Amino acid sequence: MKTWLTYHVQALRLVLSRFQKNKLSTFLICLSIGVTLALPSTAYIILDNLDGLVSNVKSESKLSVFLSENHNDTLVATIQAALKQNPAIQHVLFVSKEDALAQLAVIDANKALLDTLPNNPLPDAFFVEPKLLDVISIESLKNELSKINGVEAVLVDGAWIKRLNYLLQLGQKVLVLLASLLGFALIVVIGNTIRMQVLTQQAEIELSKLIGATNSFIRRPFLYLGALYGLGGGILAALISWMIILVLNQTVTEMAASYQTDFKLIFSSNYAALTLLIIACLIGLISAYFSLSPIYKKS
Amino acid sequence: MIVFDNVTKRYPASGDAISQVSFSIEAGELVYVTGHSGAGKSTLLKLMAAIERPTNGTVLINNQNVNKLKESTLPYIRRKFGLIFQDHKLLYDRNCFQNVALPLAINGITGQEAAKRIRAALDKVGLLNKEKAMPITLSGGEQQRLAIARAVVSKPSILIADEPTGNLDKNYAADILALFKAFQQVGVTVIIATHDALGQASQQNKVLHLNQGRLSTSAHSEVNA
Ligand SMILES: Nc1ncnc2c1ncn2[C@@H]1O[C@H](COP(=O)(O)OP(=O)(O)OP(=O)(O)O)[C@@H](O)[C@H]1O
Ligand SMILES: [Mg+2]
Repeated sequence: MKTWLTYHVQALRLVLSRFQKNKLSTFLICLSIGVTLALPSTAYIILDNLDGLVSNVKSESKLSVFLSENHNDTLVATIQAALKQNPAIQHVLFVSKEDALAQLAVIDANKALLDTLPNNPLPDAFFVEPKLLDVISIESLKNELSKINGVEAVLVDGAWIKRLNYLLQLGQKVLVLLASLLGFALIVVIGNTIRMQVLTQQAEIELSKLIGATNSFIRRPFLYLGALYGLGGGILAALISWMIILVLNQTVTEMAASYQTDFKLIFSSNYAALTLLIIACLIGLISAYFSLSPIYKKS
Repeated sequence: MIVFDNVTKRYPASGDAISQVSFSIEAGELVYVTGHSGAGKSTLLKLMAAIERPTNGTVLINNQNVNKLKESTLPYIRRKFGLIFQDHKLLYDRNCFQNVALPLAINGITGQEAAKRIRAALDKVGLLNKEKAMPITLSGGEQQRLAIARAVVSKPSILIADEPTGNLDKNYAADILALFKAFQQVGVTVIIATHDALGQASQQNKVLHLNQGRLSTSAHSEVNA
């Protein structure tokens, strides 16, 4: 156990001392990893923020429940009671066809038009504000309400939320695709860098094997090298994303102010930053792992 | 300690380098391996140190059959040996101290304990004042001694030297042979390959004389002092 630890400390120290010897090239490698990772991580932050924004937009989304022509007041009362008891519904408002007509008639131009009609064409209606605003909940509520006896049709207002949600989903898919492609590119690039270093240390590797080094002893410093490149790149990526968000926010807050909201992009939780670092580390580790084939070649 | 039974080593490219060789080496012996260039001396040493596996026959190291060992256990066998290679194999991108540190690092020895041992080894070969020097700045003889320091630093029980006096003048060669004798004196098994005429030494020590990969009994004297 103690020797095991010694081996790891030893490998880590070796790598760090090599970093120190080649500060500039180490920084440049980390920077190129950082820039590559900054792209998907910034995109993630923006999507994540928009997602939060969408679920915060309340009251924009309403369901209009229109009743069929032939009904009496008792039916209206039963429906109203049912709606009030429905746990998925936040608020219900009943507008009778007379009230609706009166509202329309407030405008003079409408009044003239309405006067030409033989009778009131408008139906009685409930305006329903749902509790949950995601696409699926609204859709299922709509289906539920359409089945109520006496309901002619249910319309969903605020279809733009639905559209925005679809757009966000599309964005997330594009992000996953982009991130995978860039991750793959990174593995190739880091792997190549490490392979070059393996080749420059070929003499040492061969000698070490001759005098009794195990494969894992030889492999260990390179795995640390990969992981540390990844970690360095991850930290830089976090910094770069943070700066991009800072710059974007100047415009976003101005725009949001014109919509009378105080929305701005937030560099999301520490949890997300940690995830970024772990992913970056893993990418480095995997790259190193796949670039070590020269080590196993028999001398 | 080391037993060869009817060992043959064949390289696909160049045929048999060692043919049907049998001998045994006891702990604490000083053994010379002699023969012309290309006779198979280096190959024999590599077989002894479990760097190569025999094509035929068996090689036993401390009663372990090299041919039956798994690839993953070979490194642990190799650590029993201190090896001095014909071409030194010094690392030219690090200083003397760091060169000698490598075998200790492989054994998991670092820090103070390692530094102490490295300086002791450098001292033994007279290079203590050169620990910061790069190998390229050393003379041929100093490089040879650095290789010896690296071989003995992990206190191996068997020391194997491939032509350690190869390009050295006579006096120097004698110094280095004296060094090996000193190791033998403290119980280390020492095996030295050389193409020099042995003179006196052949009377006192075991000699394995190779001729085109075969042990030739004519020059094989086992008169122990
Ligand atoms: N790795 C190898 N692959 C192919 N052939 C080899 C290899 N190593 C040695 N040989 C061959 O085996 C034979 C013996 O080589 P070896 O190096 O053992 O000779 P040697 O006695 O050490 O010679 P020298 O005194 O010149 O060092 C030579 O013919 C050589 O060409
Ligand atoms: Mg040789």
